[in-house]
Amino acid sequence: MPRYLTRRRRRRFTLFGALLATLSLLVSACGGSATSAGGAGGNTLIIGMTASDIPVLDTGLAQGQGYEGLRFVGNQLYDGLTKFDLTKDNQIPKIIPDLAESWTPNADLTSWTFKLRPGVTFHDGTPWNADAAIFNFDRYTNKSSPQFYQDLNAQGGLSIAGIKAYKKIDDLTLQIDTNGPWAYLPSDLATVYFGSPTAIKAEGNQGFAEKPVGTGPFKFDSLVRGQRMVMVANDQYWAGRPKVDKVILRPIPDPTARTAALRSGEVNWIEVPPPDDVPSLKSQGFQVLTNSYNHIWPWVYNMTKAPFDNVKVREALNWAINRQALVDNILKGTAEPALGYVPHADAAYEPADDVYGYDPAKAKQLLAEAGYPNGFTMTLSYPTSGSGNMVPTPMNTALQADLAAVGVKVELKPIEWAAMLNDFFTGKIPDNADALNISLSYQQEGFWRSWFGSDSAINAGKYSNPEVDALFAKARTVLDDSARASLYSQAAKQLGKDSPWLVVVNDRNPRVLASSVHGFVQAQSWFADLTQLSVG
Amino acid sequence: MAGYLGRRLLMTIPILVGVSIVIFITIKIIPGDPVASMLGPTGSPEARAALHARLGLDDPLPVQYFAWLAHSVTGDFGTSLARHDAVAPIVFDALVNTLILTLAAGALAIVLGLLIGALTGLRRTGIAARIGNAFALFSISVPQYSIGLLLIIYLASNAGLFPVSGMHNPNGGGGFVDLFNHLILPAITAALVPAGIIARMFRSSVLDVMSMDFVEALTARGLSRARVMRHAFHNTVPSLLTVAGLQIGYLLGGVVFVEAVFAWPGIGLLVYQSITQRDLPVIQAGVLVSAFAFVLINLVVDALHGLVDPRIRT
Repeated sequence: MPRYLTRRRRRRFTLFGALLATLSLLVSACGGSATSAGGAGGNTLIIGMTASDIPVLDTGLAQGQGYEGLRFVGNQLYDGLTKFDLTKDNQIPKIIPDLAESWTPNADLTSWTFKLRPGVTFHDGTPWNADAAIFNFDRYTNKSSPQFYQDLNAQGGLSIAGIKAYKKIDDLTLQIDTNGPWAYLPSDLATVYFGSPTAIKAEGNQGFAEKPVGTGPFKFDSLVRGQRMVMVANDQYWAGRPKVDKVILRPIPDPTARTAALRSGEVNWIEVPPPDDVPSLKSQGFQVLTNSYNHIWPWVYNMTKAPFDNVKVREALNWAINRQALVDNILKGTAEPALGYVPHADAAYEPADDVYGYDPAKAKQLLAEAGYPNGFTMTLSYPTSGSGNMVPTPMNTALQADLAAVGVKVELKPIEWAAMLNDFFTGKIPDNADALNISLSYQQEGFWRSWFGSDSAINAGKYSNPEVDALFAKARTVLDDSARASLYSQAAKQLGKDSPWLVVVNDRNPRVLASSVHGFVQAQSWFADLTQLSVG
Repeated sequence: MAGYLGRRLLMTIPILVGVSIVIFITIKIIPGDPVASMLGPTGSPEARAALHARLGLDDPLPVQYFAWLAHSVTGDFGTSLARHDAVAPIVFDALVNTLILTLAAGALAIVLGLLIGALTGLRRTGIAARIGNAFALFSISVPQYSIGLLLIIYLASNAGLFPVSGMHNPNGGGGFVDLFNHLILPAITAALVPAGIIARMFRSSVLDVMSMDFVEALTARGLSRARVMRHAFHNTVPSLLTVAGLQIGYLLGGVVFVEAVFAWPGIGLLVYQSITQRDLPVIQAGVLVSAFAFVLINLVVDALHGLVDPRIRT
């Protein structure tokens, strides 16, 4: 390079530096205005959801993006005939009247009469009555009705499984007949939502999701796909106007970005913070809320082959893992140890249902009795993410270490969530592994039979016990809630003896609220009541 | 020139058909049933069977493919399995968002790449050149996912200079300034790798050209430094165009992580999410539209090539 050009090059370098400096100034100037505009203003709740898109806004289809859709869309835009009482944090939510004021079954629990709430209108002014209810039930279940919606029917699943027939008695009375005795019909109906017949007729089944109209505490305002959904308080809500003016849902799938959005004030409510952030969020004055709910995070043993065809082996592992250490070190208190088959937030829970503990010596002894004094090698199939699965990789790695201490070598086989579900829903464990890690719940009572019933199509571990089957069948015929709960508790005690799962933890539903959010009660439920809170 | 472009445009058709077949087969090979992820644990086997039949998932693969193809050529990409809504508007909305991010990141990458490439190419020693080289190497090697999170934590969350995520202020309004603010961090994150690649390429191209005889000849004839540089720059343009064009094309597909971290509602995030849901119509349309955009960008680059380099215009 010729030397005589050095001076000019130096000038160019200075120019470049000046340019960079100008650019960065410009950038930070714009950035400054961003924060002031980005914050939540007024009495507005802005929720950072874990979903990566806004859930479908049509009644039961809201669960398509995971149950977060029912929590933030279904229960807010719509009502069911019944609902869970989410106003208290110190009791398991009971089923209470919603669009039905009361209900009475016949003696054998096969026919139910619902008295509908008078004076309720949909957000578009259409009156709520038996005709509106029938219109919606036809949409869910009646293949010959013009408004029948196959997708909705399929998504209805267990919620509508009990419904055989329904008819209008008078304008405010509805009769529902069930497929045999169906004691828990009222709780199943809590997530069967009702849309305005006028709006559904006008928009068509598919179009209704763009302009949803329900009777719920919040009205649909606007939707920008992938970015936000805005709801405003329903002034005419039959139970009184919600205290907050506006609710905005934002999908922020990355947990770190979600926490950052809360810290910067872009949102004032986030779901599921990364456990590692919990201590610092607490110290910064955010409200870190947790409460028990109906959730369990087990390994489902593959009971069709050795070694898990042996009950002693199945029990042994349940004594080998240090659940408290997992909760303290990895989950930072966002979960609680599961020592039995009933989550503490299930009506069936009794202290005697907690049957396991941490006792590696006992685990070794049981393994020796089972003929495995030196342990064995096993495979675990586990999803790397997915609704309710918490932080599966570090959790399973910790369990792997605990089990290695009693001689059980676990080979971890990660699998993508959708691929896992594919096998699970056809009653299989992926790769015929020795165990499957998944997160489950008994939020709907029918789930007990789904997970453990001999006749269930999705009982992946192939557990089978006629006594337990009989208890589930009997539960359907018992109207009294506590009597029914005690049947499930009996089943759980039998499960404790048969050990079909390695039970690990119950999630505590962590969410974080800004200090400006007042009056929210974190119920013992997956669902949340947004009507009693205010922001400011 | 027109004939050349027309031929190139026609060639995109077999490319797109090929892409669509590959996607179709790949999605069918990987395990995972769209209906299973749609229905969740409460779905009954009967409901699954009924939905399978209605969605045509029981038909033989070629039948499914041609049914899809017949609809697609009319612009009807079907109905999303997970969103229960027409696919075309979902995909096009997302594509527009991705194009905004891609173009911003592309422009940033080209400006940064040219500046650093020129700096390090013209001045091979010295502190500025070393910093430039280090930056180029760093930006190629650093994982976008981590750098995105670091930017969010330090510049957005702690310093409060930028919005953390999304594309618009959730309270609505804001207009262009709002969009620009949301764009800065994701664009920087996405621009790093292509900026590094363009810088390194441009550096070697500058070195090449500056050592050519004509530079010395022009200098010897008394041309000013600025005019010499203009001639030199003209000679680097063809290779610059190729690399920049390719990089912008890659950006289209490569912003998946950036979109996921910043919750940018673009096509990468859409396709990623649809893969986890096995939402075949959306995956199919999303990839196809991206492939088409990629081909188009390359076409534009070729056309520009023709403009700056008459030799390939034939």
